[in-house]
Amino acid sequence: MAILETDRLTKSFGALAAVSGVSLAIEAGTLHSIIGPNGAGKTTFFNLLTGALAPTSGTIALDGRDITGTPAHRVPHLGLARSFQRTNVFPAFSLFDNVWVAAFARAPSRKGIAWRSADRYPEARERALAALADVGLAGKADRPVREISHGEQRQLELAIALAASPRVLLLDEPAAGLAPEETKKLVALMRGLKGRYTIVLIEHKMDIIMSVSDRVSVMHFGSLIAEGTPAEIQKNAEVRRAYLGGVAA
Amino acid sequence: MLYALMGLGLALITGVLNIPNFAHGALFAVGAYLLASTANLIGNFWLALVVAPLGAALLGLAIEYLGIRRLYAAGHDYQLLFTFGLALILSEAIILVWGPVGYSHLPPPVLRGGVDLGFTFYPKYRLFVMVAAGLLVLATWLFLEKTRYGAIMRAGIENKEMVSLLGIDIHKLFTAAFALGAYLAGIAGALTAPIRGLSPGMGVDMLGIAFVVVALGGLGNLLGAIAAGLLIGVAQAVVAAHWTEASSVVIYAVMAAVLLVRPQGLFGIR
Amino acid sequence: MSRALIAILAAIVVLPLVVRPAIASEIWIFAIFGLGLNLLLGYTGLLSFGQSTFFGSAAYVAGWLLKHYAINVFLALGIGVAVGAASAALVGYLCVQRSGLYFIMLTFALNQLFYFIAYQWTGVTGGEDGMPGIPRPDFLGIDFGEPLPYYAFVSALFLLSLWIMKRIVESPLGKILQAIRENEVRAEALGYDTARFKLAAFVIGGAFSGLAGVLYAMLFGIVPLEAIGFVTSGNVVFATLIGGSGSLYGPVIGSFVFIWLSESVSTLWARWPLLLGVAFVIVVLFFRGGVVEAWARFSAWRERKWRSSRQTG
Repeated sequence: MAILETDRLTKSFGALAAVSGVSLAIEAGTLHSIIGPNGAGKTTFFNLLTGALAPTSGTIALDGRDITGTPAHRVPHLGLARSFQRTNVFPAFSLFDNVWVAAFARAPSRKGIAWRSADRYPEARERALAALADVGLAGKADRPVREISHGEQRQLELAIALAASPRVLLLDEPAAGLAPEETKKLVALMRGLKGRYTIVLIEHKMDIIMSVSDRVSVMHFGSLIAEGTPAEIQKNAEVRRAYLGGVAA
Repeated sequence: MLYALMGLGLALITGVLNIPNFAHGALFAVGAYLLASTANLIGNFWLALVVAPLGAALLGLAIEYLGIRRLYAAGHDYQLLFTFGLALILSEAIILVWGPVGYSHLPPPVLRGGVDLGFTFYPKYRLFVMVAAGLLVLATWLFLEKTRYGAIMRAGIENKEMVSLLGIDIHKLFTAAFALGAYLAGIAGALTAPIRGLSPGMGVDMLGIAFVVVALGGLGNLLGAIAAGLLIGVAQAVVAAHWTEASSVVIYAVMAAVLLVRPQGLFGIR
Repeated sequence: MSRALIAILAAIVVLPLVVRPAIASEIWIFAIFGLGLNLLLGYTGLLSFGQSTFFGSAAYVAGWLLKHYAINVFLALGIGVAVGAASAALVGYLCVQRSGLYFIMLTFALNQLFYFIAYQWTGVTGGEDGMPGIPRPDFLGIDFGEPLPYYAFVSALFLLSLWIMKRIVESPLGKILQAIRENEVRAEALGYDTARFKLAAFVIGGAFSGLAGVLYAMLFGIVPLEAIGFVTSGNVVFATLIGGSGSLYGPVIGSFVFIWLSESVSTLWARWPLLLGVAFVIVVLFFRGGVVEAWARFSAWRERKWRSSRQTG
């Protein structure tokens, strides 16, 4: 059954419909990719899902429950976490503090929030450390963000999303700006996460998508134009036109 | 109308330069004192009215060029401290030069006395100020709307990158905007002098009002600043007529009330 | 015990021997005020230019009750804290949705609102003349009217405030406020209601300001109109910035430097705010980062020198 479902979701900025009538169902436990040329509305679609933007019309349902209009700071508590296309972390913090803040947001109890030492929340601490370990940054927990490489910052971005112990993980181009070697590492990482979480992935790089996705949806000018298995999408004529038309012509 | 003038100048500075200008009130006071001194010195009110705001603009030019220019990357806290320090220096300098006691300055003989408007008797000078300030606001507005330089300044509020891309020296634009804002503050001060007299504290009072006008108009919204200036002026006049003591408070109370209902300001876009 | 704490304890003991007890008390009172501001400025990244609103309101209300109803010292302090927190909640509610310049101007304009209320409401506040005749009632037989016992009392409350603030900034709340400073959008995306957290910072900061305000009123026996004026707001921002807003102890050092300097200069020349303004400008143009950072730079330089001399020697 679908864990996350949108129904004719639309977002217009003035006359421009950035997302237009998108109806999409994400099956629990799958890795579902969304592809499309630049400006197709993929990131806007994520911003709608996470409440960062309010949709013009249409609905979003999580576990069959309507969550449209939930404020951005409530959405993570429903089990939806995202990573950002441009690295979006807390620059002055150590890696551990970056993920700790994410973990604490979902702590079962915020008792003593203004008084008890931040070290004395073992549950948040463990989840933070586990998230760093998941992305292979456990050894650098105490390093400040500015001392790690761009590739490691992308991993940290992912760890912050994981630390929120989500059920659905929304990843916005996690491989953006990575070198081929780093990309390979990331693909391996994603394989490891697959199955543990329901993952919605926005990605440009076709090789990544084809190797990890269960299902692929294609967005073009704000609308969904195709959906299927990676193999089906590769053969789809309309997709080829959209891509080739957008890139080559 | 004076409030609109002050607010317009401050809106220009905050909009284009993106700095908190706590020296705006001091520039207002400098305009007022310069008017009184030059008028006494050369004995011609009209010439003084031309000279005094130019002095304020020159001062603004120097402030931007020597100080604020070095602080664009420094963060609002240091910019604030700098302009606040300038405000202290200027208001203390006023006391040093002109003395701590306020005094009054008479309008030129032509504008003394009042006119009978039929329903009420109104001082000539106030009428003059209203018309003059109105014309100044209009002139500034036309400058910003209709001329090339005005268009560049408005573009500086909307999109600084674009201005740089057009090959315009953004620093020159900043200096010009600050000087123009200072000029408007100076002329507002000069016009006020014969109405309210001169006192070292006049700058701070006006600074608060200018901030309210800008906050109500919406940051970077010049037309909004003009409208909010008019609104505040009218509100204050109405309250002052019935309950004099509350006339200073009412400005801020109006602001708080408006922001409760419309957090983005009356005409706010951001 | 940390070195900073030892230094502070030593300063508390030595200070009244060096300067008048009133000035010594004022230093720690101003430090409490600075601690409150720094939670907003340093930790949350909110530049409030209206802290005297909370300082002054608390001083007026508690001063009035002390004067006319002869209330107990601790009740007066409690009321001051409550008034500081409540006025901060009011101002914070209007301000936390805004950011940048708008936020600064709004805190200032609301400060002016309170200032003009105090200015016009002469029946209660005394307007420009201030509210004189505020007593320092005895407690358990200790005569706080004497300068030294009152100094000890102020110092103890300062240490208590410092301890409480240390707990707060090391708590999850402290981390979350810093996260908001670093990246508000991400903090919200992680599931924090950032507006509510910023409001909490306001209320806590206001409570500290309120405590400082009442102690100030009792110290001088008067609430001057300037206590709620914008210059007071500016001074505390300046003191915090010269101390260094990045650390817990920054405002303490800043208050020390600021009060000591302004007290010694103000007796020399009535126009000393001019020098203060010059000091602001000089600090901003040449010494951004404050005393704490200047010290860190100096130690780094000394360290390097020490190392290079060892290598060559």
